[in-house]
Amino acid sequence: MGDKMKNSLSEKKLVLDNRIYSPEAVKLAAFVFSGRTGIKIKYGKSASQALIEDQASGNASGEFMNEVLNQQCRIDLAKKSSKIAGIIVTKALLSAAGEKR
Amino acid sequence: MAQRTAAKKIERTKSGPPDALWRKIGGTYLLTNDSGHYAWLGEKDFRLVMAGGLTERHPLFSELASKGFVRNRLDFNDIAAKWKKKNAYLDQGPGLHILVMTLRCNHKCLYCQSSASGVGDKKTDMDLGTARKSVDFAFNSPNSGITIEFQGGEPLLNWEVLKGAVKYARERAQSTGKELRLALVSNFSLMTEEKADFLLKNEVSLCTSLDGPAALHDKNRLTPGGRSHSDTVKWIKYFQKRSGKQVPEYRVFKPSALLTVSKYSLPRHKEIIDEYVRLGLEDVFVRPLAPIGYARRLWDTIGYDAGEFAGFYLKSLDYMLKLNRRGVFIREKMAAMMLDKIINFKDPGYLDARCPCGAAIGQLAYNYNGDLYTCDEGRMVGWEGDDLFRIGNVFKDSYKKVMTSQATKGCVVASNLEAQPACARCAYKPYCGVCPVYNYEVQGSLWGNIPANDRCGLFKGVFDTLFTLLKSPANAEILKKWVTK
Repeated sequence: MGDKMKNSLSEKKLVLDNRIYSPEAVKLAAFVFSGRTGIKIKYGKSASQALIEDQASGNASGEFMNEVLNQQCRIDLAKKSSKIAGIIVTKALLSAAGEKR
Repeated sequence: MAQRTAAKKIERTKSGPPDALWRKIGGTYLLTNDSGHYAWLGEKDFRLVMAGGLTERHPLFSELASKGFVRNRLDFNDIAAKWKKKNAYLDQGPGLHILVMTLRCNHKCLYCQSSASGVGDKKTDMDLGTARKSVDFAFNSPNSGITIEFQGGEPLLNWEVLKGAVKYARERAQSTGKELRLALVSNFSLMTEEKADFLLKNEVSLCTSLDGPAALHDKNRLTPGGRSHSDTVKWIKYFQKRSGKQVPEYRVFKPSALLTVSKYSLPRHKEIIDEYVRLGLEDVFVRPLAPIGYARRLWDTIGYDAGEFAGFYLKSLDYMLKLNRRGVFIREKMAAMMLDKIINFKDPGYLDARCPCGAAIGQLAYNYNGDLYTCDEGRMVGWEGDDLFRIGNVFKDSYKKVMTSQATKGCVVASNLEAQPACARCAYKPYCGVCPVYNYEVQGSLWGNIPANDRCGLFKGVFDTLFTLLKSPANAEILKKWVTK
């Protein structure tokens, strides 16, 4: 996946290549994880770094990577489908609000 | 010149790759498209079609062309008409309005938060002023058909206000000219002849909870005397009898029941369905339990994963088909709603499986104090102390403000399948929907992470089962009857 991990006792460092994972995707994933575990993020020219507290039970760093991938896929999809997605959302909201279309 | 002629010939005979979604089930491929059409293809044909190599001479050409899978033979009028019919809700606004008459309940069901509010604690009762204001608010919806569902807690614990709300809603329907449907969801334990008469005369449809035979039902739905099942059954029989004797003055609806599948239900599909048949009920809604609100805390005790539910669902459906073959009409409600989309290209009004989901734009939940939530699930999250899905209050906020609130917009955007990476290319996109409340509760964001989402696994299991059953002409005949009744 183009990322490297370094282990410490309870913290993992993830290096996320900017060519694959945009800083925006990393930030969104960190937001989703904000209530779950401690995360520190550092943005660099070619990669972002995430320092994650892995709890004794669970695999927070692995799940965080899944979430970064999820967010990146969302961003990529939005570039292709934002027009149709926008039409559906606008139609649904305007109709519900009783606005004439 | 010769090359150009050859290229033109290929253009005429080959169709180009279709705009289709697909899924491999067993050894065959299911193809679907946005208008809702589907087709099955073997490995060889699938490769040919997806490579855009289908020619007019191919035996599948006319079927695939008529279903919109041949790029240069698209009937745009048909595609647009089917899409519009299936997604008619996009033009309508909220039709379902859930009024929580009280949070009190005389049951302590394993999976419900209502038991948290004691029977004597009337501070969580809706007062008449709030009920009337809630009805007024519901009639602000541009939808020409308004359904008001009274629930709780146990709504019959707040009977006088419920009665007042029914009368007021009828008045409002008359003055606005809107079509009004009224529904009551009750455990029936506090039902009396007098209450029943009032409800029937006001054309309130009646729905109760029935989790199966007595031992199972009473294990899920605890009462001090352990009489939940017998009370429920007594009144189901009563309302069945009344609906059998229609009167000219008003319509008497058949009673219906909702099944909540807990871990204890999983090995008992036959007994549950037999109980429904015994009571003359024609629909069993095999509803999965969601780890939302109070049920989330107890998930280890009463919950299950998507695979376990899929197994239960398949066995239940299989048994119902067997009964239908023996001449007993019994249908599974979720299947019927999905089949309405798959076979009839219709919107069955199933708010949990649409794009975007029904949160706020299809339904509103009115708490006892007038607080408004995107849906009942959102209200349950609120009850646990997180008001993310609260979108206003009937006394303080205008209808327009509620419909344009951040939570409303957030739910609509997050449940748009065109913007969900896994859903946008899923074969079940034309029929499915995601739930932002579930995503938030289980995965920490309105968007969720669909490939790792158990609700997605659960719906995929349901769709796999339905499409596989539709391949058999004998099963398809029964399933089609479920949606032509």
